[in-house]
Amino acid sequence: MPAQKIESPVALVIGGGIAGMQASLDIADKGFKVVLVEKEPTIGGHMAQLDKTFPTLDCSSCILTPKMVEVGSHPNIEAMTYSEVIEIQGEMGDFQITIRKKPRYVDLKKCTGCGLCAEACVQRTRIANEFDMGIGKRAAIYIPFPQAVPQKYLIDPDHCLMLTKGKCGKEPRCQKACGTHAIDFNQKEENVTIQAGAIVVATGYDQFDARLKPEYGYGRYENVLSGIEFERLCSASGPTKGSIEYNGVEPKRVVFIQCVGSRDKTVGNEYCSRVCCMYTAKQAHLVRERIPDAKITICYMDIRAFGKGYEEFYDRVQKEKIIFRRGNPSEIYKRGESLMIRGEDTLLGEPYEEETDLVVLATGLVPRQDAEQLGRMLGISHTPEGFFKEAETKETIPTSKPGVFLAGCCQSPKDIPDAVAQASGAAAMACICLAEGRS
Amino acid sequence: MKIGVYICHCGINIADHVDVEAVRDFAKDHPQVVIARDYTYMCSDPGQDLIMRDIEMERLDRIVVAACSPTMHERTFRNVISKSGLNPYFLEIANIREHCSWVHHDRTRATEKAKDLVSAAIAKAQLLEPLQAQEKSVTPSSLVIGGGIAGMQAAFDIAASGFRVVLVEKTPVLGGHVARLNRTFPYLEEAEQLIGPRIEAVLNHARIEVMPFSEVEKIDGSVGEFSAEIRRRPHYVDGEKCDRCGECLKSCPVDVIDDSNYRRNARKAVYFPSTDGPNEILLIDTEACLHFKDQSCDRCQRTCPQGAIDFTQEGRLEQVQVGTIIVATGHDIFDATKKTELGYGKYQQVITAAEFERLTASWGRTKETPRIGDTVPKAIAFVHCVGSRDKQVGNEYCSRVCCTYTAKQALWVRENIPDSEVMVFYIDVRTFGKGYEELYERAQKRGVIYKKGVPSEIFRGGDKVVLRGEDALLGQPYEKAFDLVVLATGLIPSQGAQSLKNLMKLSLSPDGFFMEVHPKLRPLDTAVDGIFLAGTCQGPKDIADTLAQAHGAASRATTTLFQGKVAIDPVIAAIDEGICSGCGICEEVCEYAALTLDPYRRLMTINTALCKGCGACNSACPAGAISLKHFKPEQIIAQVYALCMGE
Repeated sequence: MPAQKIESPVALVIGGGIAGMQASLDIADKGFKVVLVEKEPTIGGHMAQLDKTFPTLDCSSCILTPKMVEVGSHPNIEAMTYSEVIEIQGEMGDFQITIRKKPRYVDLKKCTGCGLCAEACVQRTRIANEFDMGIGKRAAIYIPFPQAVPQKYLIDPDHCLMLTKGKCGKEPRCQKACGTHAIDFNQKEENVTIQAGAIVVATGYDQFDARLKPEYGYGRYENVLSGIEFERLCSASGPTKGSIEYNGVEPKRVVFIQCVGSRDKTVGNEYCSRVCCMYTAKQAHLVRERIPDAKITICYMDIRAFGKGYEEFYDRVQKEKIIFRRGNPSEIYKRGESLMIRGEDTLLGEPYEEETDLVVLATGLVPRQDAEQLGRMLGISHTPEGFFKEAETKETIPTSKPGVFLAGCCQSPKDIPDAVAQASGAAAMACICLAEGRS
Repeated sequence: MKIGVYICHCGINIADHVDVEAVRDFAKDHPQVVIARDYTYMCSDPGQDLIMRDIEMERLDRIVVAACSPTMHERTFRNVISKSGLNPYFLEIANIREHCSWVHHDRTRATEKAKDLVSAAIAKAQLLEPLQAQEKSVTPSSLVIGGGIAGMQAAFDIAASGFRVVLVEKTPVLGGHVARLNRTFPYLEEAEQLIGPRIEAVLNHARIEVMPFSEVEKIDGSVGEFSAEIRRRPHYVDGEKCDRCGECLKSCPVDVIDDSNYRRNARKAVYFPSTDGPNEILLIDTEACLHFKDQSCDRCQRTCPQGAIDFTQEGRLEQVQVGTIIVATGHDIFDATKKTELGYGKYQQVITAAEFERLTASWGRTKETPRIGDTVPKAIAFVHCVGSRDKQVGNEYCSRVCCTYTAKQALWVRENIPDSEVMVFYIDVRTFGKGYEELYERAQKRGVIYKKGVPSEIFRGGDKVVLRGEDALLGQPYEKAFDLVVLATGLIPSQGAQSLKNLMKLSLSPDGFFMEVHPKLRPLDTAVDGIFLAGTCQGPKDIADTLAQAHGAASRATTTLFQGKVAIDPVIAAIDEGICSGCGICEEVCEYAALTLDPYRRLMTINTALCKGCGACNSACPAGAISLKHFKPEQIIAQVYALCMGE
């Protein structure tokens, strides 16, 4: 690496999930400034949506929210939520980055997060809540979830009557309800340019769209859920307050199907998503815990319980009378209110047909939709499946562009401990760039 | 006194088994409590805001939080109240999750217990005293223990960040296990390409001092100012004089089976520990050398034209001062002789994967036809999970690398031994990393046959060995003869881990690997401040994950160095000099050597930087002269009293 003058001891971190947060904290704790850009209105990422985490069954919120608070209040971190990087120029040591701040239509300085506006909104319980994967409802002025950081409301421009139709009754009720006059329908988007010496890319992943496997009926049968939807269903802060039910009824038979969108060339994803075996084992455990007499089956190809304490957890789950059936189903169809699952049990060497109330698909991790665009902006390449490519094999952090580092699932699927370790690593490498410049 | 009590629901973790509203109302009734609230997640931003607002509005002076274990969020809430201007030690946590809702299922009784725990916390809160954290300066350097790929990478990153590093390696050479591999999965590059440049980088870095053939014997101090004693073992060859001519090797009459090459070739008692690394220092193996046995031989000494051989050379102890420590001591390989049914050590046709790496490396180098004894192996079997996922040998865990390295080795055979028949016997194929599934697929396409069901036994059949087991997919038994069987031996905790654990007071996970503080929040930190983990000493992992973790450990270890100072926890022991008689009993029980006798005043003194506030000394003191701040007898008795009154 040639010695270059580092103009600015600031690091840009793109993505405010667990990897981006860890990288930001590790850099900021060393005394460097961090600008953390997050596309969503809150930091937290996918981890905020999870109920409990494998294999220790720590509650995800319990371990994540304090970290979110730490990021939100760290003197060296400027967290820009609801913002996007739109242009990157320059080289290691002197990147110029343009960030687009989307309008929240709520003044961050005035909003106290009291929630009176959302209570008042005419569409209070009408809009599908993205955070709950559409299972729960929210208002047009909302906060993604109660522990969001920043704890500030925003207006959904696609649904708010004022913003779509220019009129909401005689006067917008939210504006009337707000005691601090924080609501401002005239807010415009705004571009900000910053300088940074190093960039950590931690943009995460998208969930595989299970509709691409039409034989599983996802999107067609409402009792076929994706992995993250089921997380929201289990979560205490979710739409059912943690009670596993569908349309008000507790399922007595649940089937989990692994490798949906992973290890599957028919959808173009040959790779393994690394987390689904374990999150399925955990979800099955949660069903057993909350519905003790449920019949639970997991259909699998190979059980990949490879991390610390994972095999032990797999063993524990097997002892909880959860059936592991080797062989993914070839199709799912409806019979009355229940679903029929048909496939071949490869251990018994015979076909099976099983009736069930609920199917949970262990949907895999795929590259983010906008990864390619961001990659072009950064000048880094990606692997054929679409995850960002590291510069050298075995080194998962540095990219072919000096000063740009990878953390978390944008590089390839991984579990939380591996993402956090890698994020600390990305922080170390970014700080080497910044420290070289300072000395 | 104005006490605020905050009851956390922890989602449903607490609220499902404890009636939080009842606990809140109970707390409200306490005469000293001015406000009591409950909230879904007390640790979240709005939860924290509740507390801060109340401190300001109600002028609270003591805070009780009834939530999870203090090990989880005591620090969080101390920060919260200190932001509001209250002394951070005016906080008491009632653990109503781990100590209550998680362990009880009777809601009524769990609620009663939660009330008791809260009233005990209120009792103690009234007696809390303000404490101040002290700061101390930090030695701007790190010690890295272990010179494998993890240790080298971590050392390099710390040095590149501008700090000095001491890198200690037990064996005479750097490189660890990776240096003994042939090619690495999934892209089949030579392991040398990974190891060579890193060895060169750490040896040539001005801020890294490499100490090979050395061991850490003692570690004192605490984060910011550790002091380590390192035993540097003698080579019996003067490195300054030796010009590596190799005459001594020719004169040595002793042949030794070389461990580092997995007993595949012999060396002399005086030898180059590495034949292809740049760090070549000749060395005499004292276990094998006749001079050290009975002084019957001094041929090498007589032969050496430089007079470099020195049988009297002595090791020495070196002291180093560092601010932080990274443990990167790696793993050992499972001893396959423990699986007697697989015949390792009994049949020469059964070898381990590590041995197979050395074989393929040397076959690759010499381009000779692969042979085992006199025969070119045509039928080759690979057996997965030898020493992993196996409760019989006490290793329940998965070793994480064997599935993929086997795919790599099986592919190597198909590509290098034409008309070979290769079978892999597995339980589950765990090719989970980037590019691993693709390698597995490639091996299968190249004709490697995967059979589900590892053999139950291996026995001799003529000049072959026979595998017997059950094919789980066909549901029928198999019996098949092979020329060579390669056992995918797993990774086990390194033998040295136990002594290091004691030296540094680290803890181990049930599987025997070093334990991190928290698998998700702090996967690289140990429970001892300033000591971090990298690589397979924390649990099996592949090279890519090891390197990511090594960079991460470097980040954790340099944070304190960049900050230049650390805070000392004020929750430590204090001596009442009017009562202490200098009997020294406390000194014996102190695990951290924090107590010493002042011989002139005949009184005990406490080193505040070393004291961890464990409470051993104050309970051992016969005169009651020592008290632990924040856990004073009157504070604890008030708690106990409140608990008993609840009955």
